[in-house]
Amino acid sequence: MKSIFRLHNRFILSLVLAAVFVWSLFSIQWGTDLFHAGGIPTMLQIFEGLIHPDLSTEVLSLGFESAWITLAYAVAGMSLAIIYAFIIGILASGVLASNKTSIIISKVFFRGILGFTRSIHELIWAWLFVAAVGLSPYAAIFALAIPYGGILGRIFADMLNDVSEQPIKALKSAGATRLQTLIYGYLPLICADMISYTMYRFECAIRSSAIMSFVGLGGLGYQIQLSLADLKYDQVWSYVFFLIGLVLVVDIWSNFVRKGLTERKRRHGFSTGWRSTFFAILLILGSWVYIKLGENAQLFELLSGKNLEYAKKFFGGMIGINDRQPAFLDTGSWAAALKLTLETLEMSIMAIGFATIAAFFTVIPAARNIANGSLTSNKKWYNWFLYGIVRVVYIFSRSVPELVWAMMIIFIFKPGLLPGAVALALHNFGILGKLWAEVIEDMDPRPIRNLAAAGASKIETFFYGILPTVLPRFLTYILYRWEVIMRTTIVVGFVGAGGLGMDFKLAMSFFNYTQITLLLLCYMILVIIADFASESTRKAVK
Amino acid sequence: MSSKHMIEAKNLTKHFEGKIALSSLSFTIKQGELVALIGPSGAGKTTLLNAIARMAPLSSGDLHLAGQPLSAYKKGKLLAKKIGVIRQQFDLIGPLAVIHNVLAGKLSEWGIGKSLFSLLVPQEKELAIKALERVGLHGKAFEITSTLSGGEQQRVAMARLMVQKPEVILADEPVASLDPARADDILAMLTKIVTEEKQTLITSLHSVEYARKYFTRIIALKNGEIFFDLPTEKVTDDLLAELYQLKSGDMA
Repeated sequence: MKSIFRLHNRFILSLVLAAVFVWSLFSIQWGTDLFHAGGIPTMLQIFEGLIHPDLSTEVLSLGFESAWITLAYAVAGMSLAIIYAFIIGILASGVLASNKTSIIISKVFFRGILGFTRSIHELIWAWLFVAAVGLSPYAAIFALAIPYGGILGRIFADMLNDVSEQPIKALKSAGATRLQTLIYGYLPLICADMISYTMYRFECAIRSSAIMSFVGLGGLGYQIQLSLADLKYDQVWSYVFFLIGLVLVVDIWSNFVRKGLTERKRRHGFSTGWRSTFFAILLILGSWVYIKLGENAQLFELLSGKNLEYAKKFFGGMIGINDRQPAFLDTGSWAAALKLTLETLEMSIMAIGFATIAAFFTVIPAARNIANGSLTSNKKWYNWFLYGIVRVVYIFSRSVPELVWAMMIIFIFKPGLLPGAVALALHNFGILGKLWAEVIEDMDPRPIRNLAAAGASKIETFFYGILPTVLPRFLTYILYRWEVIMRTTIVVGFVGAGGLGMDFKLAMSFFNYTQITLLLLCYMILVIIADFASESTRKAVK
Repeated sequence: MSSKHMIEAKNLTKHFEGKIALSSLSFTIKQGELVALIGPSGAGKTTLLNAIARMAPLSSGDLHLAGQPLSAYKKGKLLAKKIGVIRQQFDLIGPLAVIHNVLAGKLSEWGIGKSLFSLLVPQEKELAIKALERVGLHGKAFEITSTLSGGEQQRVAMARLMVQKPEVILADEPVASLDPARADDILAMLTKIVTEEKQTLITSLHSVEYARKYFTRIIALKNGEIFFDLPTEKVTDDLLAELYQLKSGDMA
């Protein structure tokens, strides 16, 4: 029995996951009632705007300005996040700790800090900061820096823990202290991975920075929101294209940096690495100078007596001071919130299910080694054509933040779980497809060619060669994206896409502080469940 | 040859998950000796070297280094001046330039500020360049270490040891992953440098040929015990045949 499970564990696991997805679909009353009366015509109008975006000088100049604000906030936020992640990440890895007890203490304590800061979505941080200190660029910057620092720090710590032991032992036997093994051993060994992961996160930070506008902080998201409110879909798409362009530029830059890191050429003169470093420093300086001078943001004004009073009132309210019946001590509120929690869970499962299906049907043509025929030694003229189309769709899908997708979809669907799930799926399908395609591209082509040479057809090659090889990593990415989706469910809820997020927004609007605390608690429970479920599933696949 | 006792071992014993890895080894190694440790796989060669380098604790026994018990060298920095270790090429930090890997031998003397600054502007550069020249790596100081071949990386590790200048060098299968020509080259260089610097060398090897060719004394381990401990010229083919013979139980 056990051996049967072992033999088919991936298959069984896939079945279980599919069943969970089907279960989540039952949370929706399927029917035409899901659409707004004017939903379909609106969809057509939105689509028309996509084909004819507004390209007037006015919109373009505003687009450039907003794009720069979005970039500047992202850069400033990331620069703080890197500092935070670097310090706390090193402490959380325990490589500086001298004995076993202090290793455990530092791991538990600092990993706990990192875990807490990343479990809350950047938009919620932004909302909390705006509520506490008002509309200041610093609210956006800190809101970005805190969760991104948490994510980066955790990855840095993991990388430090995964460093191979021999070179470190050799350094220790050469008499290096712990600090010296850090700078001569650990850091050089993980430097390349650290930079490439940071670049990847920077791309995400651009999108997050764009949606910061939804709490009232300028940038591309703000323009998108205004145009949507005016029902000017052609302008909406213009700004979305600006956002896609920004993400693409960062993507190209980060590919460039990663390539330079893996090639590891001799360090002679002004290499690509130095150029990128120089450019990065320039960008960071430029962003901070702009925020300081251009937006005239004063860090110390944040700490004015008035703001401190607000912050005190806000956070005091959250822990239930002056509230005779805090929501988080009330059974009725808990029952309602837990129902929303379950709905949010269902929404996230539906979202990853939709994204998986869409990615599954598109991923094969999206792999470069299939397009050029090197994997299957089967060359067809249309392969490159399909490759191009799918890749453009992927870029489009992942460049637009979930929140923006949700804002548009809410014009078509009635508020509820489905629009939220669709919006999350629309954004994540592009990411999942891209990650999967890279898995296929990294495959060892020899066994596949061998199968083809042995006379296997295309479909046989897929099921005998490609699928068994890539399935574990595909599953890993599905689970990983699901964790991310879980964190984002609350955000799509803001615009009326159901779940905890919608209630969160209401609680914010009514200054119902203890209800906010309760919802945040539920949300953290969800994130912990997601982490735990995906971690244990990943172990089962291994 | 000076008669200073570098290493004195008395009844070294090590249990490993209930099995005996080293059983009551005693020997003395004088300054300037070139000792080869040979024996079949699992005889305890690496365990013994790790014990001397204090990388793995002993179950019992006395180990003196330059007249003092090993535990007297409280700080890693002090021990690093006495003992240096070289292994297969896993010891180097791949993404760093060669010169930094060589200068890592100086970390025991440098403070944190100087070590940090050296990553930008290499300190005591001539020392490292000279060491690299002696191991035959002219002009490779600023290459990325991981781009070098296995033999070259092993020489970088040797250059690091020359900068570190320990009194005793422990080498654990230093040529295991190299082809015969390169292995010969590395061992010739290692023994030459050690002799010139009046250091003491203990090397574990799986090739008897190299042991006879380059070393003055051979200690053979078998099942965690000393099988023989003789000057090289007294090691006979019969003894070696017996050392590597399978147990009679295995033959049957």
